[in-house]
Amino acid sequence: MPLDTSTYSLALLRLDGRRWNELRRLTAQISTQAAADGSSYLEMGNTKVICTVTGPAEGKRTGGAGTGGGNEAEVRVEIGIAGFSGVDRKRRGRNDKRISEMQTTISNTFASSLFTHLYPHSTININIHILSQDGSLLAACLNASTLALIDAGIPMRNYICACTAGSTSSHSANDEAADPLLDLNNLEEQELPFLTVATVGESDEVAVLVLETRVQMGRLEGMLAVGVDGCKQVREILDGVVRRRGKRILESAAV
Amino acid sequence: MPREVEPSQNEKQFFTKALSENIRIDGRGFDEFRELSLEFGDEHGVADVRLGKTRVLTHITAEVTSPFPDRPFDGLFTITTELSPMTSPSFEVNRPTETELLLSRMLEKTIRRSSALDTESLCLIAGQKVWSIRADVHVLSSDGNLTDAACISIIAALQHFRKPDTSTSGEGVTVYTLAEREPVPLSLLHHPLCVTFSFYPPPAEGNGEGEGEITLLDTTHLEESLRAGSVTISMNRHGEVCQIAKLGGVAVDAVTLLHCTSVALVKVKEISAFVAKRLEQESRRKDVDGKMKTLLSSENARIPG
Amino acid sequence: MAITILPPAPAYLEPQDDISSDDSDVDGGVDLEGNSGMRPSKRARHSSDQELVTPGEIVTDDPQWMRGHGTYVAPSTTEIVATVAGTVQRTNKLLSVRPLRARYTPEIGDLVVGRIVEVQSKRWRVDVGAPVLASLPLSAINLPGGILRKRTETDELQIRTFFSEGDLLVAEVQSLYADGSASLHTRSLKYGKLRNGVFMSVSGTGGGGGVVRSRRQVWTIDTVHGGGKVDVILGVNGYIWISKHIEVVGGDTAITRIEESVSSTVYSSQNDEIAPETRREVSRIRGVIEILVQEGLRVDEDMVMKGYEAAVEVDSENQGESNAYLGGEAVVPGAVDMEIAKQEGEELKNVKRA
Repeated sequence: MPLDTSTYSLALLRLDGRRWNELRRLTAQISTQAAADGSSYLEMGNTKVICTVTGPAEGKRTGGAGTGGGNEAEVRVEIGIAGFSGVDRKRRGRNDKRISEMQTTISNTFASSLFTHLYPHSTININIHILSQDGSLLAACLNASTLALIDAGIPMRNYICACTAGSTSSHSANDEAADPLLDLNNLEEQELPFLTVATVGESDEVAVLVLETRVQMGRLEGMLAVGVDGCKQVREILDGVVRRRGKRILESAAV
Repeated sequence: MPREVEPSQNEKQFFTKALSENIRIDGRGFDEFRELSLEFGDEHGVADVRLGKTRVLTHITAEVTSPFPDRPFDGLFTITTELSPMTSPSFEVNRPTETELLLSRMLEKTIRRSSALDTESLCLIAGQKVWSIRADVHVLSSDGNLTDAACISIIAALQHFRKPDTSTSGEGVTVYTLAEREPVPLSLLHHPLCVTFSFYPPPAEGNGEGEGEITLLDTTHLEESLRAGSVTISMNRHGEVCQIAKLGGVAVDAVTLLHCTSVALVKVKEISAFVAKRLEQESRRKDVDGKMKTLLSSENARIPG
Repeated sequence: MAITILPPAPAYLEPQDDISSDDSDVDGGVDLEGNSGMRPSKRARHSSDQELVTPGEIVTDDPQWMRGHGTYVAPSTTEIVATVAGTVQRTNKLLSVRPLRARYTPEIGDLVVGRIVEVQSKRWRVDVGAPVLASLPLSAINLPGGILRKRTETDELQIRTFFSEGDLLVAEVQSLYADGSASLHTRSLKYGKLRNGVFMSVSGTGGGGGVVRSRRQVWTIDTVHGGGKVDVILGVNGYIWISKHIEVVGGDTAITRIEESVSSTVYSSQNDEIAPETRREVSRIRGVIEILVQEGLRVDEDMVMKGYEAAVEVDSENQGESNAYLGGEAVVPGAVDMEIAKQEGEELKNVKRA
């Protein structure tokens, strides 16, 4: 077990020196890829993700089952994990179930948050490339997609902001005094129970909630509260990125 | 491949209208499960779960294999789910649909990742021989809420299953047949179960109260195809959450989700109790056979003596 | 082998002070004092009259406004909420948000450059960069052999002789379907198949850089260095065509003559002979537009002409050594390019000349 939780109780500092409610450094850029309609590059600590959005564009018809029949745009998500992104250089197959599940999650999330009914018969393609992984993978993908979709100018109800929240002390240690933690890195994720939560804007509405580790029911409330709060912080940061970019565009257009 | 038929406009309107008057079209309460029945097969480890018209059959089998080199002390446990065209024409063999993918992921996370089955207890000789337990989930008929039904059936089947007794002597393992020695049950650490909540947007008229979305439990196929979002919560009866999956869909207030977990706990306790009761009935029935067998065997034993 | 784990560092630090960093870019030859004196006031004015909103932000809760594009009304409230990142526009009582960048959405009367992607029995499907493909019915083109001729089955059979897959054309949006897709027409001598030139794609009328709707989308440049006349077509959808100008034979606009020219050349896919000088100027114009886009400036006749003049000027100063505008790795963000890009601002030009 790599994580020594005992140090936390001493100094209340985590492995990387953060306190319980601190996010890692989150930086992002938008309009990074010229070829795409919208693109973004996002770093949450050492997790690095590039996202490009193409469309809405007329989708290729797949086989006999025409997908373009609907009155709404279809959101397709493709996630590529670079071989060098993790510690172990593992080759992931095309039909890795974990990745497929992430793809489905992202696609469902944005299908209900975007105004897809404005673009009938078309497809919005979201391509995500994971360059480096250090925890909060799904959260980073969701945040990067939000930015890229905003960059592409596709109307949406609100930002989808995501982050992870965990709980100190693993499942077996049944102490009630466990503190919730915000934004876990890879080491913490391996050791501690954690959940990924995505909210709609600064509201408390939860669009995505994924928990994959055993945790006492009583702890869930604290973790969720911290996670939702973290999402609000993430929103501020993402909003700042969009605004800075917007200001730059307006200034150069005004010349 | 024939596509799944979407519900017609009439059905949709009827459903939403009924829902806005707090009625489900089959007359159940919002948090009421359909009638649950659980049958066991003649063999050990066969469980047939019916939830309304949904019917899932799970068959557990065990064989001795060699473990993965990186985990020499752990037995293998695999869950395979296959949705055949028998369930619905929209399922095709060898081309997993999204439903199938999410179902297998959900079962994987609920049962395997939460270490419901103690895989270390399946080890026979470290690094060489382990039990490989395989759960084959067959969906015989699908009328919504596959996840919950499949999970109940796996958990019930695992509890019902008996693996042959073994003895090790040095490098050799002896596997006794059922006749030679009474087979032994698997060592289950806990019994996680899934409960799926489906969310529907609140009625458009906005009748003030609650303002939240409507939450239904154990949805039928029609209800499932009209839902705006869902969350699957897996827990055991001790109140440990094993897995939560709200994969997109309509956004729901965080408080509602917490409320869902407490509802889930109640449901899980109910279902666990039901499964336990059925297992007990079954073992009593089996026990009658067992007594007969011992009687017979002793009779046989007496004759030569 | 030692493995060192580097502490996370941001790949890109946002400039804290935009103004100072921008000014430091403008070096060499430009009067810094005059420049920095002018900039802040100009910027302040613009950021104040252009209100930037981001998705989910409430624009107003005043019920007197009507919601337009880029906004929605939250259920059971009167709040108008932005759905895209962009600037608020108020037209009478209509409130809309113009996105900073978006895909082109067709509007009736738009001049567009498109590419045929599919040939159907009575129409073509044209990629104009919109969410769905536009359609060009066979009945909406000039048929050879007479402008008012009725189309026949023979025309339907040889539909590929007019346009086939991959052909580029310039057309006008005639009408819009309910799903937002456009129906095009080429019933004018201005429109039709494109040849003798180069295609480029920039972002369309979304906002920020790119082609904007303006008075003239098509014009002819008298180029220098013996390049002759060059046509520039700025499609509103962000597709651009720069080509050698072909004189219409005769020049008079008698109906009969038009018919003849229609039949002879309009659907030809054969390029004419183009002199190297012309090619050079075509590619210079292309380079200018690329830089305009890179700098996030608008692309219209005015800007392209100014840019072209500046490019020629720089070229002559450098005795033809700089071929920064002649294709290939044209847009190296070097000092020269930056200078030119900044020169687009008229006051800077004046400063320099003074």
